[in-house]
Amino acid sequence: MIDAFISGFLFPGVLYALVWTVGLFWFFRKFMAPLHKRVGPYYNGPHGSYQTLFDLSKLWTKESITPTGVNPYLFSTMPLIAVIVAMLPNVVIPWTNNGPLLNTPYGLLILVVLVGIEPFLLFLIGFGSDNKYSFLGAIRVLTQAISFETAFFLSALAPALLFSTLNLSKIVESVSFVSFLILLPSLILYFISLLGLLEQPPFNIPDAEQEVVYGFMTEYSGTGYFMLQLAKFVEFMAVFAGAGTLFMGAYRGIFFDSYLWFFIKMVSIAVIMITIRAATPRITMEQMLHFSWRYLVPLSLLNLAWVMFAKAMIFTGV
Amino acid sequence: MEGDGVLMDYIKNTISDIPTEYIEDYKQNWLKCKLKDSKDILTITEKLKKLGLRSISTISPTDFPNENKIEMNYFFEDLQNRKNCWVKCDIPREFDKCKIDSITPIMPSANWHEREAYSMFGVDFINHPDLRPIIVSQDYYGKAPYRADFDWRAHEANQLNNLKAIVDDFKSDESKNEKILDPLGSDTMLNWGPTHPASGPIRLKVHCDGEKVISVDPEIGYVWRALEDLVTRKDFIGAIVAVERLCFMDNINSMTGYCMAVEEIAGVEITPFAKWMRVLLGECARVSSHFMGLGNFFNTMGLHTLMLWNMDVREYFLDVLESYSGARIATAAIEPGGVRYPLDISIFKELQAAIDKFDSVIGDIEAIFVKNPTMKLRASKVGIISKNEAIDFALSGPVARASGVKTDIRLDEPYAAYNEVKMDYITAQNGSAADRFRVIFEELKQSVDIIRQAKQKIEEGVASGEFDPQKDHMVKVPKKLPAGEAISRVEWARGEVLMHLVTTEKAKSPYRLKMRAPSFNHTMMLNRLLADKTLSDIPLVFGSMYICQGDLDR
Amino acid sequence: MLKILDFFEYAKSESLWMAHFCTGCCSLEMAAAMGPRYDWERYGYMPTPTPRQADILMITGLVSKKILPALLRTYAQMGEPKYVVALGACSFDGGPYNDSLSVIKNPTEILPADVFIAGCPPKPEAIIEGLEQVKAKIKAGIPSAASQGGLWKEMEF
Repeated sequence: MIDAFISGFLFPGVLYALVWTVGLFWFFRKFMAPLHKRVGPYYNGPHGSYQTLFDLSKLWTKESITPTGVNPYLFSTMPLIAVIVAMLPNVVIPWTNNGPLLNTPYGLLILVVLVGIEPFLLFLIGFGSDNKYSFLGAIRVLTQAISFETAFFLSALAPALLFSTLNLSKIVESVSFVSFLILLPSLILYFISLLGLLEQPPFNIPDAEQEVVYGFMTEYSGTGYFMLQLAKFVEFMAVFAGAGTLFMGAYRGIFFDSYLWFFIKMVSIAVIMITIRAATPRITMEQMLHFSWRYLVPLSLLNLAWVMFAKAMIFTGV
Repeated sequence: MEGDGVLMDYIKNTISDIPTEYIEDYKQNWLKCKLKDSKDILTITEKLKKLGLRSISTISPTDFPNENKIEMNYFFEDLQNRKNCWVKCDIPREFDKCKIDSITPIMPSANWHEREAYSMFGVDFINHPDLRPIIVSQDYYGKAPYRADFDWRAHEANQLNNLKAIVDDFKSDESKNEKILDPLGSDTMLNWGPTHPASGPIRLKVHCDGEKVISVDPEIGYVWRALEDLVTRKDFIGAIVAVERLCFMDNINSMTGYCMAVEEIAGVEITPFAKWMRVLLGECARVSSHFMGLGNFFNTMGLHTLMLWNMDVREYFLDVLESYSGARIATAAIEPGGVRYPLDISIFKELQAAIDKFDSVIGDIEAIFVKNPTMKLRASKVGIISKNEAIDFALSGPVARASGVKTDIRLDEPYAAYNEVKMDYITAQNGSAADRFRVIFEELKQSVDIIRQAKQKIEEGVASGEFDPQKDHMVKVPKKLPAGEAISRVEWARGEVLMHLVTTEKAKSPYRLKMRAPSFNHTMMLNRLLADKTLSDIPLVFGSMYICQGDLDR
Repeated sequence: MLKILDFFEYAKSESLWMAHFCTGCCSLEMAAAMGPRYDWERYGYMPTPTPRQADILMITGLVSKKILPALLRTYAQMGEPKYVVALGACSFDGGPYNDSLSVIKNPTEILPADVFIAGCPPKPEAIIEGLEQVKAKIKAGIPSAASQGGLWKEMEF
């Protein structure tokens, strides 16, 4: 009972997600600022670390406006569902050496399906907003999701092929330096499709504020917007954790195994992501489609072939 | 130049068979003539077009209620060969007779300028393809607010009613859209602005089919301040407040243009020191404007880093302006007769710091942003303006130069001390958005080079005693000016600014000041550039046209 | 319980987001206040693209007649609590355009502002100081001026 409470509300549960959201949001802003030659949040708390706590608390308690003409149920429940779906992968990810909350042989499958369903919820959110810009944004989400999920699934499949298991704990246990090298191309492909899936530059097409005014989030205010932000950052966590689990051995590290290693791995992915964000302009829809279907998907297929080849030639017996 | 003289004579001969009151030389490369009959405007336009004067800078009506006439001024320009023609003609003032043939079918660049004259003065242009009011708010439709006898205070007394006219128009526009669009189709009308994050106070009515843009209709006038009307109630020095607010990003050069026109009417020649100061301050303002322009270009693609890096450098140039005039942006530093304040030579230390800062970052900016492959991928194929289009639509400044048109007023018609400055045209060939970005970037370097030259010249002049920074900054300009008329052109950060100033005898304030600002023509192009493109291209093309809503609406 | 509510009130005052809307030239100095030298994000201010998520509407300088309905519509779209900050001389009485035939001379009579920031345009330091005053106002629990009155309530927009 106590254990269930701890895991549901504290560690990989709600509180963890909230703390992570606040922390990552702050880290995004604080890390971005020097790249902009600025300081970033500074006066609220040490190095401005309370700033995002204040921001998110404010959003939570601010008035939520439901515009006339929308379906109020769709409009107000979709963000909540988005948050829940984004949090669910937490149960299959092996955060610490105690293994995941739900030790199942199909962990990888659950992870990719839950990550893959999220864009469709965002589509419904934009669709239900009754706003031209939101609708355009929603269509963009859908187009982008379809283009990038193929590559995402294929690159996430590589470790499963190599280790012949869908069990995330077993994958983590099997990761070695050699397997890391073999899976390096898959990691790069995974990272690129992660940028597309999370709508990060250069693929931040669905919520491009200069084009479609935040896309599907245009009409959301107060609590609804807070939920969407939460869903976004928790989704970040799930996808980063996926990368950490599949390719980098999650909690395993040098000298000792701990959640700390996992955290470092996730943050280093975030650092690369923010650096790209600070230096790359957005590309257009056609260029994104072109890139995805002409290069990314064929490369992921080739990568699978490489992994199978490596498994047969180098990795046999492991 | 000799060649120009021959060319001018040739133009003079060619148009001499049209009945005119006078044809005379004006300034270095202008020809000024007045038609006897306003019906000849089409003939002269066609002839001038054949002679290569293919662009019309602006159309400026001047209202003379006492003589019961509206005097039309047409400014024809040849952007490349330094020959220009100023054509005047009179038309009657009564609303039903106030008509003239539209020259838009011959010269497309006249389109919006004729619409502006129609909205402001009620001049009816016969055969104009699209004669709708522009700039003015809906309550002024059909009222000709710039006419001398229009009582705007009486009109303004009923403020709430005026506002209602605007709201009603917006709503009827919406319901009209509902009717023309197929409810089952995928067409829609997007209001891109004025609340849009990338638009600023302008509204583009974008007719689009999903992501594809079918047509764009810019609705402007959201920052219409009626500056041209406002200056007529201020004295000649007070008017610079209005003139510099043409656009805050580069205010020095617009003031220079106005002051040159005043000085021409007053017959005053300013000192060489003041001329160099105008160059120095003007280039500082140009640098600060170009920095914003470059940053904005990347902002439209969702990358704010360049904007913030630019802002970092820009502050140093604003420091110089602040130390000189006391204000960062609204400097009011140029006045008829020279520059406003004596120069404290110690501000050159700050200028040197600004130049050093510029030198230290410009390499990074070039390496990371100007050569950015993603930017090139996106921007080198959209917003392409051919050289012919640029000339036909009277584009100017960096936008025209990016299409390969060699035009730069600083070289074509040197003002201030630009005849002594070493510089050259910076052009690109393809006229795409990426080319415009590159031209603006190169001009940034050029401007800093000019600042260096001006700084050196002033330092040498002060050291040798040639300039006296405490006294030379100003020559006295009388408060009352004789009757006269003058035009002046300056190369503003965004292109050509033409000031047409009319004064009456013993006037204390301008009778009419027409300001031609480049963004007006650049916005005219948007529909041509954006049709058949996608929604993603709208902010990019809009940003690359280097439009400022301030000088668009005036 | 009281403490928690206090925390949320405090959070409201410390996190002010601006609607991205510019009516006039002062927005240039607003951009400078976002820039590296002044960097208002140090204090927690942030621009947001849609009015729905904003707490502060800036009247950046002049309000022309044509943009006023859009300004009011933007204000109406914002969620409570919302505050209005008037930048520059123009938003007080028309400023340099007081004599102009198209600029609203009394924008803050129509949409009352909580804080006026003087200048033409105000310096970035002044803008940040003005926003700090909004924070103080929220902390003191004073309701926003526009909610108390103003012509906008009777107008159709």
